[in-house]
Amino acid sequence: MRLSPAVVLPALAVVLAALVLYPFVGTGYGVRAMLQIFMWIALAGSWNLISGLTGYVSFGHVAFFGAGAYTGAILVASAGWSWPVAALAGGIAAALLALFIGYPCLRLKGPYFAIAMLGLNEVLRALVSYFEGLTGGGNGLSLPTLDATRAIYYVMGVLAVAVTAMTYAIITSRFGLRLMTIREDEIAAEAMGIDTFHHKLAAFLLSAVGPGIAGALTARDQGYIEPLSVFPLAITVTMIVMVLFGGKGTVWGPVLGAAALFVIQEIVWARYPYVHPLLFGAIIVAVVLLMPRGVLGLLQLKYRLPRTI
Amino acid sequence: MSVVVTPEMIGQVVISGILSGALYAMVALGLALIFGVMRVINIAHGPLLMLGAYVTFFLYSRTGMNPFLTVPLAMAALFVVGVLLQRTLVFRVVDAPELSSLLLTFGISIALVNVAQNLFTSDLRAVEYITGSWSVGGVALSKPRFIAFVFALAVTGAAFLFLKTTRLGKAIRATSQSREVALVCGIDVGRIHMLTFGLASALAAGGGALLAVIVAIQPEMGGVWTFKSFLVIVLGGAGNYPGALLGGLLLGLVEQLASLFLTTQLSEVVAYVLLVLVLLVRPTGLLGGRQT
Repeated sequence: MRLSPAVVLPALAVVLAALVLYPFVGTGYGVRAMLQIFMWIALAGSWNLISGLTGYVSFGHVAFFGAGAYTGAILVASAGWSWPVAALAGGIAAALLALFIGYPCLRLKGPYFAIAMLGLNEVLRALVSYFEGLTGGGNGLSLPTLDATRAIYYVMGVLAVAVTAMTYAIITSRFGLRLMTIREDEIAAEAMGIDTFHHKLAAFLLSAVGPGIAGALTARDQGYIEPLSVFPLAITVTMIVMVLFGGKGTVWGPVLGAAALFVIQEIVWARYPYVHPLLFGAIIVAVVLLMPRGVLGLLQLKYRLPRTI
Repeated sequence: MSVVVTPEMIGQVVISGILSGALYAMVALGLALIFGVMRVINIAHGPLLMLGAYVTFFLYSRTGMNPFLTVPLAMAALFVVGVLLQRTLVFRVVDAPELSSLLLTFGISIALVNVAQNLFTSDLRAVEYITGSWSVGGVALSKPRFIAFVFALAVTGAAFLFLKTTRLGKAIRATSQSREVALVCGIDVGRIHMLTFGLASALAAGGGALLAVIVAIQPEMGGVWTFKSFLVIVLGGAGNYPGALLGGLLLGLVEQLASLFLTTQLSEVVAYVLLVLVLLVRPTGLLGGRQT
């Protein structure tokens, strides 16, 4: 099967146009659901940038979401910033946090990075609860009321498109090739003269910005945040499952995974909330053992799709 | 916040640090063994510890058994669970890229926690078998913590003796030094992997069983133990088994110091900053990395 730009680009344009017009025709629930799908595409796509491309597993990406949420919320609630600017600040705060973690941990090979990310979430939650004066502690933080769901829908949509476009740009660039070389064989990558540390760090910083912005937007949209609502392990798990299911290291895998799992989750699994994590755990195990390249990897193999998809 | 530090307080910190350090060392030794032998970081190590804690809780609450006597039972039960996990799932990713083994054990870990939440509920459970403390020269020595410390020392000592003196222990150490050479020497590496995973799970379960006597337990208690065990082996030097002892004691002391000068709320933050600092300054661990 050949996918020529003459087919793909108009199709993409139609989908985008439909998404732009959707808030004018859709129900409140529908718009909210689409907003969530955009958020998950941005989150899954960001996780894919570090873990799918370089093979360094981040077990704590929700930390960037939470850091962005608190930065955005504090700036809006206490400093009176407008929410779009606060959202950008959330992205920058997340990138700074990534620099702090990535600098010591990404210089090393092996599992150090994964474990450091595993603990980060708990640490941020403890810190946020401790500095009550700034964050409201366990009582949470309320934002001034504002009905901006439609505006946030568009901004979150732009974020999802931006993360996906960035993934495409990276995968088709020399930078992306170097990242994938690190994933396949880091020692060989070094021998070829790739500055592996700075490449990994750059990928990691880029992967933190999206969740930071998404966190700040979510905080604005919901109007209230507390430590447990923006630092749950479940968000990290969902991101990972979406990328693995769709196909890690691909452009459209995270999009496919986010949309598919969100829909399945809403329709089927919402009835069985108690075994939700068990299902996700089982999906992770099954994908790792049976189809490590995800659904898109299988399709690529079967229909000879281009690798840049 | 200014604190007046008396010699008694320092003594208290040192004693409490050593008491919890032995437990850290015991649990971390399990993680270190799996990492040394298979090059796999077992994210499910903490949840296995949690299962061990529940074995003790249920044996105590249903049969009234002395909780300290349940430690070997919890270890035996989780030895079997560990062997089964290795036999069915983990062995498939031993030679795969690190990403696969990390994700696989992460998947196992969230599944185990969820199973525990459904079977045992998320309620906090406690084994109130022994409470109170002895006073030794102005320093309070918590009774359950002291007995747990003695058990942890005994189990860790036995594990080291096993690794050092028995043929099986030597085979495990040989496999962790070089799998190829071990194979050539006629060691059944697949079987060693299985035993190692079982032994490591048993060490985690022992830690969980002892913890159940000290603190309240719940299904999500394990996550932080995976992290702390890893911190202990980073402190001691990955692949350096005696280093786990030193790392455990050090982590125990640092945490107690932190709770003296800061607040117990931030003890995990302190542990985390410690990890980042060690990785920054001396990533091969305080005793140096694996000896090859």
